[in-house]
Amino acid sequence: MNLSLLFAIMRVAGSPCADIGTLLLRRRRIMGKYVLEVKNLEKYYGQNKVLDKVDLSVRKGEIYGLIGANGSGKSTLMNILFGNSVIAATGGYSGDVLFEGEKVKLRSTTEAIGRGIGMIYQEFMLIPEMTVAENIKLTRENTKGILGKVLSPELCFVDRKKDNEDAAGVLEQLGFEIDNSYLVKNISVNAKQFVEIAREVNKGDLKLLLLDEPTAVLGDEDAGKLMKVLKELAEKGTSVIFCTHRLHEICQVCDHVTVLRDGQVVSDYGRDELDMRTLARDMIGYDVAAVKKEHQNREEKEILKFEDFSVYMPGEFLDGLNLQVYEGEILGLTSLSGHGKLAVGYGVMGQFPVKGEFLYGGAGVDVKNVRKTIENGLFLLPDDRKNMGLLLEHSVRDNIVFSGFYGRNLFQKKAAGIFPVRDRKEMERCVEEQMEKLEIKCESAGQKVKELSGGNQQKVCIARAVLVAPKVLFVMEPTRGVDIGAKEKILNSLVQINREQGTTVVVASSELEELKRISDRIAVFCEGKLSRILPPDATDEEFAFAFTGEEGKDGR
Amino acid sequence: MDGKIKLPQIIITAFMLALFVLAGFLGMDIPELVSGSFTKFVMNGVLVLAMIPMINAGVGMNFGLPVGIVAGLLGMCMAIQFRMTGITGFLGAVALSVIPAVLLGLLYAKILNMVKGKEDIAAIFIGYSFIPIMNFVWTVIPFTNREMLYPVGAKGLRPKISLENYFGNVLNELMVLKLGKISVPVGLLLAYAAVCLLVYGFFKTKGGTVMLAVGENEKFCQLSGIRIDRVRTMAIVLSTVIGAAGICVYAQTYGFVELYNAPLSHSFPAVSAILIGGCIGRRAKISHAVLGTYLYQTIYLLSAPIANAILIPQMSEIVRMIITNGIILYAFLKQERRRRQ
Repeated sequence: MNLSLLFAIMRVAGSPCADIGTLLLRRRRIMGKYVLEVKNLEKYYGQNKVLDKVDLSVRKGEIYGLIGANGSGKSTLMNILFGNSVIAATGGYSGDVLFEGEKVKLRSTTEAIGRGIGMIYQEFMLIPEMTVAENIKLTRENTKGILGKVLSPELCFVDRKKDNEDAAGVLEQLGFEIDNSYLVKNISVNAKQFVEIAREVNKGDLKLLLLDEPTAVLGDEDAGKLMKVLKELAEKGTSVIFCTHRLHEICQVCDHVTVLRDGQVVSDYGRDELDMRTLARDMIGYDVAAVKKEHQNREEKEILKFEDFSVYMPGEFLDGLNLQVYEGEILGLTSLSGHGKLAVGYGVMGQFPVKGEFLYGGAGVDVKNVRKTIENGLFLLPDDRKNMGLLLEHSVRDNIVFSGFYGRNLFQKKAAGIFPVRDRKEMERCVEEQMEKLEIKCESAGQKVKELSGGNQQKVCIARAVLVAPKVLFVMEPTRGVDIGAKEKILNSLVQINREQGTTVVVASSELEELKRISDRIAVFCEGKLSRILPPDATDEEFAFAFTGEEGKDGR
Repeated sequence: MDGKIKLPQIIITAFMLALFVLAGFLGMDIPELVSGSFTKFVMNGVLVLAMIPMINAGVGMNFGLPVGIVAGLLGMCMAIQFRMTGITGFLGAVALSVIPAVLLGLLYAKILNMVKGKEDIAAIFIGYSFIPIMNFVWTVIPFTNREMLYPVGAKGLRPKISLENYFGNVLNELMVLKLGKISVPVGLLLAYAAVCLLVYGFFKTKGGTVMLAVGENEKFCQLSGIRIDRVRTMAIVLSTVIGAAGICVYAQTYGFVELYNAPLSHSFPAVSAILIGGCIGRRAKISHAVLGTYLYQTIYLLSAPIANAILIPQMSEIVRMIITNGIILYAFLKQERRRRQ
């Protein structure tokens, strides 16, 4: 550190300030020097900038909160700090990471662990076929016997008894009771989380612990236990970086909080300045909606009904949804990413295993039979355009007519009165009409879709849905990765489909501002559960609390 | 995938031409080799076409080609049993093999749809496990034409049934055109062209287009209400039927119906041929099959006598193995590299 160097020089020079300097230095040590400093960190994934000039400084013994929606760069930052090979494989990063005052470039997790950094992942990094104790002591097993001394440490016998004792000890320290001879695959999810934490805590020389959403799977009680453990660890001098989106936990334990959004540090708060409302606002980060459309008051005639509807979609779990959708409305679905807004549509279209009832016009629907669902008038435009929403190698024309022609047998005429053949004229007319209406920019209808820009590709998807003319249309993230001009066109066309064809539209989007403009109602999800249904003119505060699911705890 | 001829094809074509030049230096009968290359080309050509529907539907390489071949063998055995001769005999054999091909194809499809993502390896083992079952069937099947049965004991089909008295070489001898010393089997080439045209035409129909779309993006098709498994089943059955017809063409040129373990030896060369033709990944064109078959078969045809002349006898089989398996390995590496990009 420059300061200590300066003082050292002063001391050698016999300067009168030297004594004061040493005194100051000692005072800083007591307060806890920086264990970790991150300066000007930038990281690209391909063309995407995921971290942009990030600066952080973590003191010894400090619990440092890092919050941000999914995709804000939290996990990437953690991976860089833990030397995960993903980072190097995707082109490394620029900027400096200083660990204990020394500039480091961690190339592997082994190196990170060697320096005393531990990490607890969002997904479990446990070996299911091993016992709890074996998992906790993995790679740090106690050994016995002389064989290892003669040959190599790798060939030592493992001292199971001692391992079990160690594991039991650390679990007790955490206040979590579990028989450590159980296989990890048989224990509950929150028990797994504790085993993972125990493994890290058991490392004797742990200087910095990274936690990536450790409480996502824990109940309130267990989360409380974890908070206690973190505080104890911090008192012993271990620094903790704690990623989460549960704001009350942050406010409870953190000494310092940094908010990340779209890879940038948005704000930075000390212990005394923490306030859930400001944090929520910074994290979601939208401006107040500027334009609002007239919302019609219509009869509330139910068209879709979800009863205890759960969808097991990896990374986007929906848990026991009860919701009614009214005929002719535009319903917005929103949440932080990974909290369930996308699972609704994919569940209905049978893309993932579901539980519970889904009723369409009062009759139960077998979501497994996608063709039947589409024939009945439901349709979905997926969020992953490239992998699910387009035939990239096919032409614009083929893409626009595909679902109508093959899925619903439109554009057919009878040749010689018997054979159904494609009605090229009608097809051509419809394609031209849609291309004009949506202003799809391309050389010709025969151009391959993969050559178009994101916005135009999305317009092609919309055109496809229009030609299918469904009764209910699910749209996933219609404006993601789309430039502003195309955005307006897309939003407009969704409103048009709704007004002109009377289609009920369910839009799942993370762009709250856009949803507010087009929706009649907005359903907000949090952690897989429907948090609240709000009118589009509800206040930002109400939305912020619905997003984080905090309203219950606040008594609001 | 823009249909242009790429570097590997240029190298292989150059290699083939070099072999022709070398053969000339060694004093081999070039016109005869050229004539032979035409026959060899069509002889294996239809079997290679059997790859196309499955690749295009995203089911992978038709490593289970023996399934189709067995259906073709059954058809031909029935034709011999009914003593059908000449061109009608050949067409009869093809027609008779369609029914077993459809039935076996449905079974084959059912298995492949259960092992999505691992079709290639599963198909190889379907081939390997199906042949022993058929070996048993060949020995007990109640055919009565003495020319098909073991001469001694008169029970069970013999491994090699001669087609001399039935429909051997009927296509080869149809309309042979003499161009100097080179004889061009026009009838054979036309028959091959007709099959190519049929397959090409199929991919222009509604069913064929859906197949291409399923091969390109399954999720997309599913969300458009297409029943993926049905389309895949259709592709697999189609591949099996073409495979059955393919072995009929092969057998009439070869002059013998080969039973028992013989079907196993056809799948790798066929896969190899379409890969040499430039098919990588999930889109196979007729041009890939045609070009690939010609290059593969001609190189094999030329390398065998050349290797025998300048190296050691029996070299031809070794050369064939190196080419066949090496190309398949190369294609897998190339596919993997593409996916990483």
